[in-house]
Amino acid sequence: MTNLAQLFFDAASLGGLYAMAALGIALIFGVMNLVNFAHGEYIAFCVFALIVPSTDAVAVMLLGRAPALLLVPLVLSLGAAIAIASEYAVFRHLRRADPVAMMISSFALGFVIRNALLAIYGGRPKAISLWPELNTPVAIVGADVPLLQLIVILTTLLVVAGLAGLLKKTRLGLEMRAAAENFTMARLLGVKANVVITGAFALSGALAAAVALIMATQTGVADVRMGGQIMLVAFIATVIGGLGSLPGAVAAGFLIGAASVLLQAFLPLDARPFRDAFLYSLVIVCLLVRPQGLFVPASAKPRV
Amino acid sequence: MKRLALASAISVLAMPALASDITVGFAIAQSGWLEAYDTPAATAAKIRIDEINANGGLLGRQIKWVEADTKTDRQQSARAGLQVIDEGADMMVVSCDYDFGAPAALSAETEGMVSFFLCAEDVKAGIQGVGPHSFSGSVLAAVQGATMAEWSHAKREARTGYVLLDTTIEYNKGICTGFDWMFPQLDGTEIVGRDTFKNDDASIASQITRIKALPEEPDVIMLCSYIPGAASAVRQIRAAGINSLILNGSAVDGSYWLDATPDLSGFVVPVQGSIYGDDPRPEVETFNVAYEKATGSRPASSYAYPGYVLMDLWAKAVERAGTLDGAAVTAELEKMKGENTAFGPRSFSQELHHQNAAEMQIIEITDGKPAAVDSWTISQPVPLDVLLN
Amino acid sequence: MPSQHAQNRLAAYSTPLILSAVLLAFVLLVVVLDDKALARTAAEALVRVTLVVGLWIFVGNSGVISFGHAGYMAIGAYCSAWLTLKPQSKALFLPDLPPWLMDAQWPVFPAAIASGLLAALVALLSGAAILRLSGIAASIATFAFLAIVNTVYSNWEGVTGATSSVVGLARYVDHWVALAWATAAIVAANLYANSASGLALRATREDEVAARASGIDMYRHRLWSLVISAFFTGISGALLGHSIGVLNPDSFYLGITFISLAMLVVGGIGSLSGAVTGVLLLSLLIELLVRAERGITVGGAEFALPSGSQEILIGVAMIVVLILRPAGLTGGREFKLRLSVPRIPLSQEPTSTN
Repeated sequence: MTNLAQLFFDAASLGGLYAMAALGIALIFGVMNLVNFAHGEYIAFCVFALIVPSTDAVAVMLLGRAPALLLVPLVLSLGAAIAIASEYAVFRHLRRADPVAMMISSFALGFVIRNALLAIYGGRPKAISLWPELNTPVAIVGADVPLLQLIVILTTLLVVAGLAGLLKKTRLGLEMRAAAENFTMARLLGVKANVVITGAFALSGALAAAVALIMATQTGVADVRMGGQIMLVAFIATVIGGLGSLPGAVAAGFLIGAASVLLQAFLPLDARPFRDAFLYSLVIVCLLVRPQGLFVPASAKPRV
Repeated sequence: MKRLALASAISVLAMPALASDITVGFAIAQSGWLEAYDTPAATAAKIRIDEINANGGLLGRQIKWVEADTKTDRQQSARAGLQVIDEGADMMVVSCDYDFGAPAALSAETEGMVSFFLCAEDVKAGIQGVGPHSFSGSVLAAVQGATMAEWSHAKREARTGYVLLDTTIEYNKGICTGFDWMFPQLDGTEIVGRDTFKNDDASIASQITRIKALPEEPDVIMLCSYIPGAASAVRQIRAAGINSLILNGSAVDGSYWLDATPDLSGFVVPVQGSIYGDDPRPEVETFNVAYEKATGSRPASSYAYPGYVLMDLWAKAVERAGTLDGAAVTAELEKMKGENTAFGPRSFSQELHHQNAAEMQIIEITDGKPAAVDSWTISQPVPLDVLLN
Repeated sequence: MPSQHAQNRLAAYSTPLILSAVLLAFVLLVVVLDDKALARTAAEALVRVTLVVGLWIFVGNSGVISFGHAGYMAIGAYCSAWLTLKPQSKALFLPDLPPWLMDAQWPVFPAAIASGLLAALVALLSGAAILRLSGIAASIATFAFLAIVNTVYSNWEGVTGATSSVVGLARYVDHWVALAWATAAIVAANLYANSASGLALRATREDEVAARASGIDMYRHRLWSLVISAFFTGISGALLGHSIGVLNPDSFYLGITFISLAMLVVGGIGSLSGAVTGVLLLSLLIELLVRAERGITVGGAEFALPSGSQEILIGVAMIVVLILRPAGLTGGREFKLRLSVPRIPLSQEPTSTN
């Protein structure tokens, strides 16, 4: 009954969204062991940047009016900017703190950003009309797929490939990978910590902005709470994938998206509201079976 | 008029200084996400207070108000309730949402004080969930769902329905409860499928795939949700090429989110009054103008109206009881059967401090333009056992 | 040096005395001021002390961050509701409860104990699986546990009322009740921390590999501390329910998870004194800021913070504290009565007593 191709596109597009968010979290974790709970707020911030700051009910587009060719790089750099700014203002001073203190500060930072957005934009969700034409269905291999779903899948593939290239081919990428392996050793070998960390935050922020653009196009609304759910899933994907492993984060993101779509499609109606309970039970099972994650980076092996 | 003012001036003088004014306590969200819903309704209540004061006050006394911020937080709500009581409130107005208003309303209940939810639409926001002195100014969610079912059956030949429920909050379930009660009772109808989602789901693609897998597109889709989830769902439903008439609860009223789905058509919302200037009742437009004068803009959604209604009803009950005493005012409120207000007749009883039937305006959005197309009152009130399921 | 050892032990037991005395002083101050809203604030702060101290019993001793404790709170809160609500209202709103639970109408105190026990039982079962993991994987598993509890309680119509709130809870939790439970939690936390199991667990926190090599069964001690921790967390959930009067699964999700962890970390995750300090200072700061939003008069000039700035400022304050003192305000030390020996940081205690 349910078209397999349709199911595939649904799963891949949701998974792609999760994968990109997970990548953003894994990048920062890799270089400084920080679980950045403010990532969801970066997403919300980038969505709100599209509209004029005001508590009025009707939203007026600000950045959102710019043509796509200008808008995309603009929002991506805005995402990078807020991530770098938060590193500069908060996390730079916590490099020597333990991961728990950093995690709680990232949460506090997210809290500040969220409440600032609430104060500036008001509590009412806002409408955003961003590229509505992307939501027209296209017929592909027997499935009716909104153009946006295809774009999400393609974008994820491009971003992942681009990032892989960056990490493999460039000096910054090499340094980042070295820092993710063993930060102290990398520094001793002449890797500049500030450059690597700033670079990781910039990339992570840009990924948050990409997620923001996709969500804004898909849902058509801006709401301060919109980044939260995605951030949590991404966080889980990062761990399941193997902390510090970028391909692992991507794979786990896709996996969670696919599991979520499959559960929604095949659970009986009465069990469907419990979808997330099944999903998170799978997460626990997955962790118990592979505590170090699906892709174990060399750095995760315990050393004595 | 002059004599009335004089009389009230004398009565003010005659009374002890503390009792000279009547105090309404607003324990509402002035910050946090609920603020966007509480402020318009509270503003409407204050507009009614100003009107009453201009007409000589209540029991010959002027009404003033005190406010406390619940910060969209349950614990802060309980504290805000105590605070307005400490500041001498004679009745309490609490948040729009049951969960965030109830802690404050419970404090009022302990004092035997009348409390009104600004616009809660859950049956619990009243006797069942707070106590015998608690009321709501709004219309039950189930009435909205039932109105959609009966109206679409009568006016749009809806025979097959699909129910899409957002399980995030209770309000949504109330809408679907009303629809599920009414729709199968009507001639030749069938609910061809149902599904659930959550308001913050990043995508509802698989829910849409299920609708598309039906042999025939349903006549109507009952969408029980609220903004932002509802806007996002509608955008995705239309993007997938599904053209069924989409029915909703009042929560999605307001043109402010329509940009989310440009040129939307076939989208219907039941409301207590039209904010678009085309309500058949002139009083509604008079209010809209008064609201614009007070705040600088027209109401963003119909959720401002219950604030006005509740203050109107409470003042009438106080006038009739001749006292501010909670029990006496409650008794007068419970006597109201089809009491006229600017937004239609309202009734309370000893079982229900809510509207289980009400005249609703039907707003239809066509090519992105909302307009009042009809007015509908359900043929029978929603029974209490359905409300309490 | 047995005499110094005995003195150390005595000094360790003085911590709960000092902390309880501080809480008592706090409550007496509120009673003297005689302000209803303030008394409520105090009661809420003390419920939070119970919660954060309960959280500390596991997190502080094991070093594993738990995101799952709000789940134990929810379990405790709903259990107390099942046991204390009037049978008529349960029949109306929670029709699928088993008959014996439907007819139960327990007094509040045994109901609170039962709530703690149920939470502890669930902790035993969930912990048995989750605590096989360690580090961040364990933290994520606790989060998954929270999400499962939340999803189940938000959708189990006939038993928890799902998203529809459970109403009619007796609001009996005032500052005295909350003080009693907070004190009980503090005493229990101190007793556990100084027990053989507590000391062993803290050894695993400092150095997992070395502790294992010394024959410490980390899994067993972690599970044991989680069970005790969940008992008090469950009770704090019941207290919270009986303080607000209305229960909704939403109250026991991410918001309370993060604020309780933040209070713990800001106060100092390494010590019981840190847990209590964090709650009291942050609660005090929040109350001050809320009052400042309402408007305060300083030297004849009235000024008020814009509405909503309290949340922003409290977040900024937490960040500033963590930047200045990454180990928290108390830096992992306990408040102790100074006997003849100088104060020794707790984290070094195992070495000094061995």
